[in-house]
Amino acid sequence: MVNFANREALQAYRTDLDAEKATGKKLISLCSGSGCGAYGTANVKTLLQDELSKNGLADAYEIRLTGCHGFCEKGPIMVIHPDRIFYCQVKTENVPEIVEKTLKSGELLDKLLFKDPVNKKKKYAKNDEIPFYKLQQRLILGANPLIDPTNIDHYLALGGYKALEKALFDMQPADIIDQVKKSSLRGRGGGGFPTGIKWATCAKHHGDRYVICNADEGDPGAYMDRSMLEGNPHSVIEGMIIAARAIGSKEGYVYVRHEYPLAVANLTIALDRAREMGLLGANILGSGLDFDIRISRGGGAFVCGESTALMASLEGKPGRPRAKYVHTVEKGFREGPSNLNNVETYANVPLIINKGADWYSSIGTKHSKGTKIFSLVGKVANTGLVEVPMGTTLRQIVFDIGGGIRKQKKFKAVQTGGPSGGCIPERFLDLPVDFDELTKVGSIMGSGGMIVMDQDTCMVDLARYFVKFLVDESCGQCNPCREGLKQMLEILDRICQGLGREDDVQLLEELGSMIQKFSLCGLGTSAPNPVLTTILYFRHEYDAHIKEHKCPAGVCKPLFHYEIDADTCTGCTLCFKKCPQEAVSGKKKEPHQIDQEKCIKCGICYDGCKFDAIKIR
Amino acid sequence: MVTFKINGQTVQGEEGQYILQVAQKYGIDIPTLCHHKALEPAGMCRICTVALFDGRRTRYVTACNYPIWEGMEVTTDSEDVHKGRKLIVELLLARCPDVPVLQQLAKKYGIEKPRFKTEDDTCILCGLCTRICEKMGNNAITLTGRGLNMQVDTPFHIQTDACIACGACASVCPTGHITLEKIRTQVTAKEKVEPIPSEYDMGLKGRKPVYVPYAQAVPNTPAIDREVCVHFKTGGCQVCVSACGVNAINHKMEDEIVELEVGSVILAPGFKPFDPSKFDSYNYANHPNVITSMEMERLLSASGPTGGHLVRLSDHKEPKKIAWFQCVGSRDLNRCDNSYCSSVCCMYAIKEAVIAKEHSGADLDCAIFYMDMRTHGKEFERFYNNAKDKHGVRFVRSRVHTIDPQRDSDDLSVRYVDEAGTSIEEKFDMIVLSIGLETSPEVVQMAKKLGVELTEGNFCKTSTFEPVATSRPGIFVCGAFQGPKDIPQSVVDSSAAAAAAGEILAAGRNTRTKQPEKVPEVNVQGERPRIGVFVCRCGINIAGVVDVPSVAEYAATLPYVEYATDNIYSCAQDTQDSMAQIIKQKKLNRVVVAACTPKTHQPLFQETLLSAGLNKYLFEMANIRNHDSWVHKNNPALATSKAKDLVRMAVTKVAMMQPLKEAELEVDQTAMVIGGGVSGMAAARSLALQGYETHIVERADQLGGQAHKIYKTISGDIVKEKLAGLISELEQNSRIHIHLNTELTQVDGFVGSFKSVLSSNGDKQELAYGVAVIATGGAPLQTTEYSYGQDPRILTSLELDQKLMADDPMIAKAESAVFIQCVGSREPERPYCSRVCCTHSIDNALELKKRNPTMSIYVLYRDVRTYGEREYIYREAREKGIIFIRYSLDAKPQVNMVDEKILVTVTDHVLGLPVQIEADLLTLATAIIPNKEEALAQFFKVPLNEDGFFVEKHAKLGPSEFATDGVFLCGLAHYPKPIDEAIVQGRAAASRAVTLLARKKIHTSGEVAEVDPMMCSSCGVCVSVCPYSAPSFIAADARMHAGKAQINAVLCKGCGLCVASCRSGAIHLHGFDNNQIFGQIFAVSS
Repeated sequence: MVNFANREALQAYRTDLDAEKATGKKLISLCSGSGCGAYGTANVKTLLQDELSKNGLADAYEIRLTGCHGFCEKGPIMVIHPDRIFYCQVKTENVPEIVEKTLKSGELLDKLLFKDPVNKKKKYAKNDEIPFYKLQQRLILGANPLIDPTNIDHYLALGGYKALEKALFDMQPADIIDQVKKSSLRGRGGGGFPTGIKWATCAKHHGDRYVICNADEGDPGAYMDRSMLEGNPHSVIEGMIIAARAIGSKEGYVYVRHEYPLAVANLTIALDRAREMGLLGANILGSGLDFDIRISRGGGAFVCGESTALMASLEGKPGRPRAKYVHTVEKGFREGPSNLNNVETYANVPLIINKGADWYSSIGTKHSKGTKIFSLVGKVANTGLVEVPMGTTLRQIVFDIGGGIRKQKKFKAVQTGGPSGGCIPERFLDLPVDFDELTKVGSIMGSGGMIVMDQDTCMVDLARYFVKFLVDESCGQCNPCREGLKQMLEILDRICQGLGREDDVQLLEELGSMIQKFSLCGLGTSAPNPVLTTILYFRHEYDAHIKEHKCPAGVCKPLFHYEIDADTCTGCTLCFKKCPQEAVSGKKKEPHQIDQEKCIKCGICYDGCKFDAIKIR
Repeated sequence: MVTFKINGQTVQGEEGQYILQVAQKYGIDIPTLCHHKALEPAGMCRICTVALFDGRRTRYVTACNYPIWEGMEVTTDSEDVHKGRKLIVELLLARCPDVPVLQQLAKKYGIEKPRFKTEDDTCILCGLCTRICEKMGNNAITLTGRGLNMQVDTPFHIQTDACIACGACASVCPTGHITLEKIRTQVTAKEKVEPIPSEYDMGLKGRKPVYVPYAQAVPNTPAIDREVCVHFKTGGCQVCVSACGVNAINHKMEDEIVELEVGSVILAPGFKPFDPSKFDSYNYANHPNVITSMEMERLLSASGPTGGHLVRLSDHKEPKKIAWFQCVGSRDLNRCDNSYCSSVCCMYAIKEAVIAKEHSGADLDCAIFYMDMRTHGKEFERFYNNAKDKHGVRFVRSRVHTIDPQRDSDDLSVRYVDEAGTSIEEKFDMIVLSIGLETSPEVVQMAKKLGVELTEGNFCKTSTFEPVATSRPGIFVCGAFQGPKDIPQSVVDSSAAAAAAGEILAAGRNTRTKQPEKVPEVNVQGERPRIGVFVCRCGINIAGVVDVPSVAEYAATLPYVEYATDNIYSCAQDTQDSMAQIIKQKKLNRVVVAACTPKTHQPLFQETLLSAGLNKYLFEMANIRNHDSWVHKNNPALATSKAKDLVRMAVTKVAMMQPLKEAELEVDQTAMVIGGGVSGMAAARSLALQGYETHIVERADQLGGQAHKIYKTISGDIVKEKLAGLISELEQNSRIHIHLNTELTQVDGFVGSFKSVLSSNGDKQELAYGVAVIATGGAPLQTTEYSYGQDPRILTSLELDQKLMADDPMIAKAESAVFIQCVGSREPERPYCSRVCCTHSIDNALELKKRNPTMSIYVLYRDVRTYGEREYIYREAREKGIIFIRYSLDAKPQVNMVDEKILVTVTDHVLGLPVQIEADLLTLATAIIPNKEEALAQFFKVPLNEDGFFVEKHAKLGPSEFATDGVFLCGLAHYPKPIDEAIVQGRAAASRAVTLLARKKIHTSGEVAEVDPMMCSSCGVCVSVCPYSAPSFIAADARMHAGKAQINAVLCKGCGLCVASCRSGAIHLHGFDNNQIFGQIFAVSS
């Protein structure tokens, strides 16, 4: 392994890499992100390797297990370069055919191509033609499909650590901060605090300064940071080193969830490599900057994503927040000025340094610049990680990129910002997504969770679900959060059971308003959002539960039952066959009936009926 | 200084302070639950949340930990804030419905019942306990778990030795979730949750590690008990430091060794109460209802553990029957080595019994089990009689062996044999062991180190004629270390020891004194009043109840007030200094301090006035502590308004105050001692040795008094020899002027300046002197009882002494001798004990035995009162076969002369039968009677009691002086006493006298009455009504105001009797003039 004593050594090495690249092996990129990995990418790779060898093509192709390609709905994903042939849902049995037909003959395998979910006839051969990718601007995620995260050369080959070079040798710390300030980059962890100002403030205070990366991504359904750490850890590391240079720090920490073993593994390798190459540690690239990064693994408490709780945890104390009346940039980790940014924020930094603040700030809206990665999940057709410029509308994200709602069901709401975000109803679908706009409608940007809900989602039950999550994750220190959320859950529970009281909604609002104002940390102050926004936009559902004892979405079991609409039922017997309770009876081609005594409301018949004959009543 | 707004009011705080601290300073109420002054704020309960407007938007922050900054605007009572707090209280009440502090808060916020699902918790997770545990340096408990599972617990639910049972957690728990009882059941370490026993309360009550030993302790400064202080165990805590408002606490302070060069040492280490634990048959160690007399003292005291409510310890029930057992650890060679009598126990047991009855009502049965009742002190016998006759205290002459605890109750059973010989079993609710006095092992060690000899009983060895001198020259002793004794005797001792030290150090007097610099007094006459008002917080003593800043603010609005402020401790030296500065700067000419009691603090503040150049009478105190904050604890609003009233009254009065002059008196540096007995001689000797001219006036033709008639002392000194030595010493001292055959015929003048006429064989001589010592002595009663005077073999005690001195053949011949005690003493006509007779008779009996070992000797007594180490000779007498037969007052011995034989018949208390003894020698221990000096009493205006003894200023605190200034008292004129005690008191009187003489000049108070002669009608009421003879008529032939009254400012005590009696309104009392008093009355009623 080489160790770069100076900038020139690194540049020379990068030139060598380019030469190597020019030797012309074709690249087959296999997504090995968490989603695709679970589908069995590794097996595909092994088999593919074997097949190539058998066919004497082993030297012609390089199979690269890369980080997440983002289109998780369709994993495992394979992209064959240089033609960027995009195969999705690749299984081992497809491998021989791929070698035989596509690699050898250049023939496209129809069944592996992506089909338009709406217009099922339409197929796409290249990844950048697919609407899912086409409509994104993948500044951060873009390198993932090209990089084996365990191989630093891949990152270097793509111009990695060039920003660091620039920051170390062409810029003074003040220049770096100035650039970041000018770029108007705002914290991607959710708060949206201007990163440049944070760095400047931190640099101003005296003491041992720390650069900390918040990778404690705890929102259910969100995995942006994970994908970055798993797929392109060096971009985060590079961002952190630049931050260290900017604020004058010697020590950095990545606080990452213990539940992200692959992220930890890849990051560990990346740090080791960077250290070995002289990109980390003492006298980085001979610049005189000493800076190293250590990994600290969190125990999985959601609240540890809160800056003060994170630092407490980092210090080995229970991860509980404290009042931030003295900011962490003044007194944070070990009482020193501490700069905490999230994974995605750091990943943005090399871009800004490389391409300049002006370029960066040309992307996005007036007060929110750059792109934002969302983890688009729920009842949307194309789940996955999407990166769009700030200001992209919800409709574009959910319908154009996400392909709309599955099974042609009706869109109901989208919840942004993680468990303490708000639910945004259909009428705001044309809302340009940025920090301020989301706040205006009662939600938050959060770290980028985006859960799409359809007609079958009960908003009361949804609020109950999130409150339950927050009750479990509240640190328990302060009364509004601990006691208030507990009682909120108690009330929501009884509403979902059909035992709601006339004044329950008012009580929820009262509690919600107090918890927002009086809680100690961000978890508490944002915790009532799901309840308050669902009350605001879906009050009728609450009323239906309380006054009519009905759950319109058919989720709260005590509040509905299934009935078979005799007019619509064709007597196909599918429901009859599928019912685990033998509650459905009826003859073939005659309308069926449901025995309400036996029915456990599992919904199998409802989901299974092809004629929409089963009704929620 | 940071300036900002709270509720629109402009306030100021120090940089780094939190909102709450500033709000509290301004009396703005913000509720808290998880806040503690000594702990870092955590902002967990959120109940102190306030609204903060930062110029752009309103945020909600917790007042306890939000640092203040310039220009911020805080609202503590907006609707949102109130609503939020109310909801938090409601949530907490739902969690803990039975916790009083939450119920009270709920009431305050108008919550009747929480709208939420209730639980039955008692912990609100405020974290105070865990934070204080950390602060204590222990970290034994912490908040474990998350969210709903959060609880206060030990790590991993495991109890470890980390907990040192300090109880800090329980002390801060606002809800009662943690209690000492709970800790007690859970602690595994060797430490146990036990209150620190208060030494003052004999362990019946706990005290804090930081404590003042008792309320009146001098100095009244708290001390930190290193043995129990958590800081010295863990290095943590230091809560006291943050609580102290004046930074007075320093944990690093170490014991210092200070070397002093002194000319004399006085030992006054006192005694240790005997520990009766080793008497297992009394079950003191095992049974809560067997207590010591010291514990009983505390139970009876209003400042004691039960506030003076008499209960027994086992069940806190009021006892119905109490017994006292005398001589526990005294007069006992079987079970302990203290064979001496502890002198004080009989008297204190009677006192306790009487007080117990006073506390619990007359039906409380009090029984005192004793061997001899020893009430030999002044007025003691009367008290004993009253206890018996008026209060119904039972006295049982019996020494009880065992106390049997009852199995089924907390009562105690005792069996004893009464005087009739009947065995009786009796139950008591509680039993008090009258424990004796002993010298502690530490003191014995000290004595060894100092090379000071001890007696058999480990008391300091002294001699009869040098009763405060130890065996080592220059080292003196006083108090119970010299021998068991009561307070009056100890106080006499202490004065005597001071005199003894003064005698050998006389040459050095005033050589090391420093004169404070005198600030010239500013003339404020005719100036408009410029009043300064200083309102004291007294830490939290006042400020905890009274809104002190608002009182100061109010004071500033009063007429003539130029300056008003408040202080944390006005009496602190730095505050005093700054007050003096302010007086000068603001040119104040009157000062009011609103603080505590003038009784203790007025002189201090007057000093401050003097140092600022003001006349010290331009001052007034308003007692807003004792009269206000202490008595209206539960009503802060009213207390504040009363404080304002008191300040207004004081301001009104002080505005009318004028500078007053104090009369200065030269003290004539001469003393006169009246009476030339041993006591008077001792006084004269001491005065002379301390450098003062002393005249000793003796009626008889020689010095020595009654001592001439005494053969020897119990320590074997031949009195005659010692007396001769003393007399010649006096004769040779050039400062002592002896006036024999001389009487006093006239006394004029007053303290420092007396004038007397001495009459000696018709010659009159005038003598001027500054102080007088009355030592007029006493004499033996001349009796007619017991056939006295009918036979030469019937003698008084002193006559026997003379026979012994003369080696009279009658003594050698005698084969049997009888002593009859209490002849004329302890009888209704003379209800006092003559104190010396028991010892003297037994000593003489032993002398007879020594001279004729075969002589049969009988001592007929009522109670043997050989107090202190005199007890040894009683023991010796019994060992040597002297027979003691007790008689009672209603069956006195009969003496019959039959055929030249003296037949003494007495009923033997053991046999119950009359016993006849033929006596060759009958000695009557006749009473000591005072020389009733009524004329002298008149001359000096000093009182006599009904027995004819002079009445001292105070039985305990002024036993050797009179209420009349400049007149002192000693010897038998005070009360019967043996030679050593007479000498001690002679010296004590001299010692007290020197305190006056040494000052050379004395000042009387400026607060004296003055007659306006223009108004005086010469009615003479003032002259007749004054107890101090201060008013007199101006001579009829005087040039000015002839015949009008005038008041001698020196004699006037400022009592105001004349002012109130003057029908012409001619007399004014300076400092308390009518207009001032009416001014105050109008001020309070306005």
